[in-house]
Amino acid sequence: MYLYVDIDRCIYCHACEIACERVHGESRISLEAVRDRACVPVLCHHCDPAPCAAVCSGGALTQGESSVIFEAEECTRCGLCIIACPFGAVYLGEADGLQKCDLCPEMEVPACVLTCPAEALVWGDGVERTGVLRRRAAGRVAQYYAESSGRDRISMPQGGAGYE
Amino acid sequence: MADERLVPTVCPYCALGCGFYIKINEGGPMIEYMLDHPTNEGSLCAKGNASMEIINHPDRLRHPLKKTEAGWSRISWDEALATVAGKIGETVRDHGPDALGFLGSAKSTNEENYLFQKMARTLGSKNVDCCARRCHSPTIPAFKRALGASCMTNPISDLANSDCIFVIGSNFAENHPIVARWALRAKDRGAKIVVADPRITPTTWHADLHLQIKLGTDVALLNGMMNVIIDEGLWDRKFVADRTVGFEALVDKVAGYTPDKVSGIIGSTPEAIVRAARIYAGSDSSAIVYSMGITQHSHGTNNVTACADLALLTGQLGRSGAGLYPLRGQNNVQGACDMGVLADFYPGSVSVHDPRAVQLIEEAWGTGPLPMGMGMTAETMPVAAASGNLRFLYIIGEDLVNSDSSSSRGRRELESLDFMVVQDIFMTDTAEMADLVLPAAAWAEKEGTFTSSERRVQWSPKALDPPGEARSDLSTILDLARLLGLDFDYAGPEEVLAEIGRVVPSYAGISMARAEERGGVIWPCPFQDHPGTPILHQEGFTAPGGKARIVPVDYLPPAEEATLDYPLLLTTGREALHHNAGSMTRRSFSLMKRAPELFVEMNPLDADRWSIIADDLVEVETRRGAAWARARVTTRQEEGVIFMPFHFPETNMLTSDVIDPEARIPEFKVAACRIGSMKGVI
Repeated sequence: MYLYVDIDRCIYCHACEIACERVHGESRISLEAVRDRACVPVLCHHCDPAPCAAVCSGGALTQGESSVIFEAEECTRCGLCIIACPFGAVYLGEADGLQKCDLCPEMEVPACVLTCPAEALVWGDGVERTGVLRRRAAGRVAQYYAESSGRDRISMPQGGAGYE
Repeated sequence: MADERLVPTVCPYCALGCGFYIKINEGGPMIEYMLDHPTNEGSLCAKGNASMEIINHPDRLRHPLKKTEAGWSRISWDEALATVAGKIGETVRDHGPDALGFLGSAKSTNEENYLFQKMARTLGSKNVDCCARRCHSPTIPAFKRALGASCMTNPISDLANSDCIFVIGSNFAENHPIVARWALRAKDRGAKIVVADPRITPTTWHADLHLQIKLGTDVALLNGMMNVIIDEGLWDRKFVADRTVGFEALVDKVAGYTPDKVSGIIGSTPEAIVRAARIYAGSDSSAIVYSMGITQHSHGTNNVTACADLALLTGQLGRSGAGLYPLRGQNNVQGACDMGVLADFYPGSVSVHDPRAVQLIEEAWGTGPLPMGMGMTAETMPVAAASGNLRFLYIIGEDLVNSDSSSSRGRRELESLDFMVVQDIFMTDTAEMADLVLPAAAWAEKEGTFTSSERRVQWSPKALDPPGEARSDLSTILDLARLLGLDFDYAGPEEVLAEIGRVVPSYAGISMARAEERGGVIWPCPFQDHPGTPILHQEGFTAPGGKARIVPVDYLPPAEEATLDYPLLLTTGREALHHNAGSMTRRSFSLMKRAPELFVEMNPLDADRWSIIADDLVEVETRRGAAWARARVTTRQEEGVIFMPFHFPETNMLTSDVIDPEARIPEFKVAACRIGSMKGVI
């Protein structure tokens, strides 16, 4: 199961940060506003192969089946993972050292996904999660096309685009 | 002991009525998402997620406190209530009941609010009000006149069925994030989102069309859109003919509001005005979403009226996806209004000027004649205190001095009171001014119903015990009423709710059992097995004759404009991580960490002009006072207009005290100001 971000939907409300902090004591997701025109939730993408796991000499970050696993006891705090991560998603927290998303293994769906008012965080297996994004994008493209070609707007039923 | 239980609750912050569970186990209360709640489907905003931080906060008031020369001194509940009852008795004896003022709380339950105003009015005082005065008070008379019912017409989730969502004066992405869930689903279906807002906000990010209008020019825009709609024949002839009156006068009124002329007033292009009008009128079902950007003006009632006119002209009401959405701010502000905690209304929106309707309430209560006529409002009570007409003030759950406009004046005025008692969960700045402070239970520490913005009445059970000797407002009011010799004989909130059902027709079918069901009941629910009424105005209107009234209004400029001395305009609003006057969110660790201080947003051109760089401490000064805030230099803000959130006490020291003549709401949204940095360049 994977967590994916639909940046087009983020409303910069900080709900995911507070939910993550509530569950983990410190937030492992962070919202970055870009020029006050968009907002990007920054969190671990659980890459495969993961650059952070590749550079981790202490064995704290390891490649799991569908996630990158972090074991705090093994961490030497060398910081190489922070440099290696292309998404800025590994960082040193204020109190508890390295912080990285663990996909809330004790929950069926991660807290940030459940709490996201705008459904900008999408959870599912690879086909499912990208399918939601594809359908949302298709809906938008269809509208833009209809508008640009002078056609009537395509009014879709609930669930017609983007929703299960 | 593994005594773990899940107690459903209703979020204590804004008025959307989101549900979640409080999980109680030995580790302390935790939040669990309620995936089957009809409004939020489990999701919660930042504040909802942080709400447990309030419950166990060390600042919670735990004991009744009396102000002495040596500071606050702990007293017993018996002494506290006897003091309050004694002061009420003295005040009535020496100055009459109209020297008593009562400010109820939009955070208290319906049952608490109902009893509070019943106590006040049974004592003979008509001075009952609540914070709705400075939030949606214009919606009440404007909707009552136009539609007959002063509330949101459709459920929040029904926005997903809209083909056009016209947002004017609301930044719901930050302030009511759950609204964005449904608006974005509508967008997935092909709906257009049109936003009129002087600022660029996360709401405007998602707009298909953003009209960045000048402050307070909403009526000009709305009249301009109606001009286009009439000119192009886009209005709903059948709806207007069958269901409204007043159309001809509207045609005359808006004839002068051509797109070219309006463009000059609002600062958007004529093409944008035309496009907005076509999208709104031409969509199968369109919704208007508005909030404080419409109401908090010296002509707020006109602003709301023009919104209603637009919906009536185009028949965008009374159907799924078509409606008017005044987004309300406090978890029970709709309920407090329904319960008559307003200077102009008895419970059930019964006008204080309607002797026959008030007589029915007298009969239901078994009292003698009840006071008639407009009472003092939240805004006029401090003024009356200064002039000696108000001697005693009882405030529940409201930080009046930080919420009021031009707040330094309000503070001085309240000092003239003979006695002030404040009942709250924290020692707010208002409580600091009181003679007596009573500790209150927070929402999850008591039971009763809350009515959300979408008229959803939900029972919120008690999940936790209040700290120390804190008590529910209900038990405090009941004990005080008994001391005052009033016949308040209720075993608990369930019995009060039953009485509410007998007095307020739209609550007649709402029992505790119904309100306890998932999602509760949406009023009007006039009898026991009635399913509730999610969409209003489907058949007729409750206005006289069953027809809605189109009331043409003219554009009036804001009371203050930029001058040589005060060359900028200050507008105020909310940010995602804080709530209202901030007495809760400023005590919430996870929120404060991210939004620790007051800021002022300004355009880079203005920053340059006054030699301000980002993160400077800036002094903002208006005719009422001056305050310091941290500079945020951003193109979110148009040149000439600066923005400050009102969650920190300083902001309202600056705001205007010019009020709307009918709703008596102050013009929080426009104040002429000047700025200077610490470096002393003015």
